[in-house]
Amino acid sequence: MTTHAVEAWIEAPLARFVEDARVTLALLLLPSGQVLAQHGFTRSLDVASACALAAAIQASGGELGRMLDGRAFTGLHHAGQDRQLFLAEARTRRGTYIFLTVFDQESSLGLVRLYFDEFVANLAAAAPEGDVAVDGVLAEHFERDLNRNLAALFGRA
Amino acid sequence: MSLVNYATREITCKIVYYGPGRSGKTTNLHHIHGQVPDDRKGQMVSLATQTDRTLFFDFLPLDLGTISGFTTKFQLYTVPGQVYYQSTRKLVLQGADGVVFVADSQIRQMEENIESFQDLHANLAEQGVDARTIPLVIQYNKQDLPRDLIATTDELSEAINFRGVPDFPADALHGPGVFETLRGVSELVLKRLSSGGTSR
Repeated sequence: MTTHAVEAWIEAPLARFVEDARVTLALLLLPSGQVLAQHGFTRSLDVASACALAAAIQASGGELGRMLDGRAFTGLHHAGQDRQLFLAEARTRRGTYIFLTVFDQESSLGLVRLYFDEFVANLAAAAPEGDVAVDGVLAEHFERDLNRNLAALFGRA
Repeated sequence: MSLVNYATREITCKIVYYGPGRSGKTTNLHHIHGQVPDDRKGQMVSLATQTDRTLFFDFLPLDLGTISGFTTKFQLYTVPGQVYYQSTRKLVLQGADGVVFVADSQIRQMEENIESFQDLHANLAEQGVDARTIPLVIQYNKQDLPRDLIATTDELSEAINFRGVPDFPADALHGPGVFETLRGVSELVLKRLSSGGTSR
């Protein structure tokens, strides 16, 4: 299974984490719920749902922590019957990301935690500074494509 | 902020449906979900209470197809409208590329519309987003109700749309206006991308 990243600098640290920690799924996302890199998901739309839910869990955990403990809870571990889930925050100079990973009996929480720290360090080292200025991504006359696609989507074509 | 993957030529944008409680934000998403073919949408995720009021958000990922050579995906979210879910609204609004404000056309809901619109501006400002520059459209929903119960689109526009953004009358329960609203916000979001801006 391959690793896909929106930004190339994430790919190597994530691929290494997946191999070292022996996890089945891994997701790096923005706090707004948008995917930056993933391993193990086969449908891009499922990735989107997983990201939305992971961002929601992380955000509500943070708020709950602030309310009860005076500071945000930055991680979560859930042990299911066959698979376990580990969700945590990864900080780099480019910003704070959310990391979600799922593993089975091939790995363990200790192993995942150990390699997660290394992953965050590798990610921080690889992260470029600042956002990328986009100079007109879409062609000026994108409206024709947009109208055609939306009409098709709503059965109006 | 829109995510642009140059390697795979893919764009992902986040659109948030905002508005007072029971104005029809979730109904908009349900209608879109019902219209779009299975291979162009993901599962609609609703974190709702037992009485189907939105607790955290509704989420619907859409694949818009290829636009100007980029595979374009939209992630549609709703916020919980009820006043006491303020912190949740802030979280869902984070990183939005465009906003649809769904107003309830009923005359008795006018104050709630205005309060919610002010709440949207305050929450955007708190996140460092200038409400005058974020792509925003307004939908006047429930225009199917009896005329004596609802305000006209002119009256609603006068009360809410002081910025003169694109606005659309709608009946989200049955469909009219839902498509036009989505097209309106999509155009604004993509226009912003086509004219250049900050992305990841």
